[in-house]
Amino acid sequence: MEALTGWWDDFFWGSLVVVEIFFVALILTVLFGLIGSAAKLSKSRVAHSIASAYTIVFRGTPEILVLLLFYFGSAITLTAIAQVFDPEIKFVDIPPFWAGSLAIALIVGSYATETFRGAFLGVDPGQVEAARALGLSNLKTFIYVRIPAMWRLALPPFGNHMLSLIKDTALIAIIGLEETLFVAKQAIGTTGKPFTMYIVVGAIYLGFSTVITLSVMVLERYANRHLEVAR
Amino acid sequence: MSFDFALIVDSIPKILTGIGLTFQLLFLSAVLGLALAIILLLMRISGRWYLVAPTMVYIYIFRGTPILVQIFIIYYGLPQLEFVRDSIFWPILREAFGCAIVALTLNTGAYVSEILRGGVLGVDRGLKEAGAALGLSARHRFIYVTAPIAIRLCLPAYSNDVISLMKSTALASTITLLDMMGIARTIVAETYAPYEIFISVMVVYLILTWIIQRGFGWMEKRMSRHVRSEA
Amino acid sequence: MIPKVLDMSDSDQTNIIQLEHVDKFFGAFQALKNISLSVKKGERIVVCGPSGSGKSTLIRCINRLEEHDNGKIVVNGHELTSAVKDIDAVRSEVGMVFQSFNLFPHLTIIKNLMLAPRLVRKASKSEAYDTAMRYLERVKIPEQADKYPSQLSGGQQQRVAIARALCMNPLIMLFDEPTSALDPEMISEVLDVMIDLAREGMTMIVVSHEMGFARKVADLVVFMDQGEIVESNPPEEFFDNPRNERTKLFLSQILSH
Repeated sequence: MEALTGWWDDFFWGSLVVVEIFFVALILTVLFGLIGSAAKLSKSRVAHSIASAYTIVFRGTPEILVLLLFYFGSAITLTAIAQVFDPEIKFVDIPPFWAGSLAIALIVGSYATETFRGAFLGVDPGQVEAARALGLSNLKTFIYVRIPAMWRLALPPFGNHMLSLIKDTALIAIIGLEETLFVAKQAIGTTGKPFTMYIVVGAIYLGFSTVITLSVMVLERYANRHLEVAR
Repeated sequence: MSFDFALIVDSIPKILTGIGLTFQLLFLSAVLGLALAIILLLMRISGRWYLVAPTMVYIYIFRGTPILVQIFIIYYGLPQLEFVRDSIFWPILREAFGCAIVALTLNTGAYVSEILRGGVLGVDRGLKEAGAALGLSARHRFIYVTAPIAIRLCLPAYSNDVISLMKSTALASTITLLDMMGIARTIVAETYAPYEIFISVMVVYLILTWIIQRGFGWMEKRMSRHVRSEA
Repeated sequence: MIPKVLDMSDSDQTNIIQLEHVDKFFGAFQALKNISLSVKKGERIVVCGPSGSGKSTLIRCINRLEEHDNGKIVVNGHELTSAVKDIDAVRSEVGMVFQSFNLFPHLTIIKNLMLAPRLVRKASKSEAYDTAMRYLERVKIPEQADKYPSQLSGGQQQRVAIARALCMNPLIMLFDEPTSALDPEMISEVLDVMIDLAREGMTMIVVSHEMGFARKVADLVVFMDQGEIVESNPPEEFFDNPRNERTKLFLSQILSH
């Protein structure tokens, strides 16, 4: 354990990066999931095909591949553009934070697309009709009836998506994001204690997963409060 | 910047030399993982706390931490421990390939046992009772009633997990293995052409995903013949 | 006995609902064939007929939950077309009660009642609350205001659904088999509410097989079969002296139990 002396604050800052990237990616994931599911449910054939291609590609390729493609792909493109203006420039990249959060959000967003699509389809059509019969516009029916009904259905699988998201943040260390796995690598370089350092990283992630799992449980209880005492 | 098709044509055969390793990783860890999952499942549903508790802790840890961290702990971390180096497992854990198999097996075993448990819990209580009423022993009820129905119930989720496993094999490239992903990364490091190489390997992975999906789809269809004949 | 609007010839009374030669198709299946029907303010119509006869489709066309294919439907002066503005206006004036209640499960009873007045009528919170409580009292379950729909019995849920529709002050109420999903002992509590409503002069179209109810409150009983209106007469005439063979057969089946 004394090998860890002096490294605690590095692990703390690394964990903070994990939290930041998690929340940024979470917002993007919800966004991609909603857009994707709307496209999949729309009558437009073009939107439907684009959304299908999106889910097939991002659910069928390894996460690390998507991440490397994004990071190195964007870097080579940006460098080429930059060199048009200044041939002296050797390398421009999207910061790993943004390349990474965009990549994992696109990946998990493709799963969220299917989850949201299923949840929207699971909403009792009778409720939607009742809202329409009361004179609520399409938009208001969507906001006040469809969304509250669908998020309860989407919550359990979405909890799993959040776990995937937090775990996928570890991959971003590969492109140089200074999160916990990256800190561990540095610590190993000076202490020569890989087992200790990686166990610490594992424990940190286990902590995050636990917090997410418990939060989802609380949310689920809140979402299903109308079902309690029902029987 | 242009898309170098000659490079793709050139690289695809090189990438495909890694497909054998990808397959080995996938099949070995899928089979071993399934065996592990069945053991975990039987422990989990045994109803004996000293079997149930360790299983739950195991599943909690392996589902709550990133697979990349698990791979790093096993490959980089374990050699730090003297008793590991002295143990009979050392010949396996000394090799990157052995470590990848161990990590993937332990990881997928945790997920698959939960999938199997979902299937077992999904079996209609009435059917088990019918089996009991016919005088079948608990063991026979499990083998002849519960298990066949449970397998059908969890096949779709299991097929998704095999795809996840296939995607996880790409992480073996982070511990020096030259699977498809590892070879692709090497070529990109030499040519600095991420788009061409990564998109080519992405297509290969997508084809593998498609094959796995079709394979399981066919199995599902065969297994639900009794349902279709009713409809 | 409830006073009935029998004087159909009264020219002062304009038709609040007017259907002219309405057709409705589901794919190749024709659900409504050349339906014409006019309803005056304060009239109570009961529509009956075997399942699949198009009676639900008929009233669902009146607030455009289904879109008719041919013919003309005019509700309170608005002709039903695809113009969205008009549809929402019509819907807020036409209340509807469904067979399966369709209460919003994630909202408490009182919030179910307040939702549309607040969003559509832009009522203040206290206004909407007062209206909601008033109607809950009318359907005799004010004490359930803070519960969730799943905590109520079927009969109570349907009464809430009626109250929810009434909170919008509709000119017309449509009932789509309001008692078919209920256990027998709960049917009368719902019918009592509907009878009260009829007594107060609400314009109502009720799809129902409750023949006792039809006898008691209907001005007109409409019998539908295979998408057509086969016979429509005041209840005494309809029940005591059915003319069409299909009506006779239907009545013998439904009254024999």
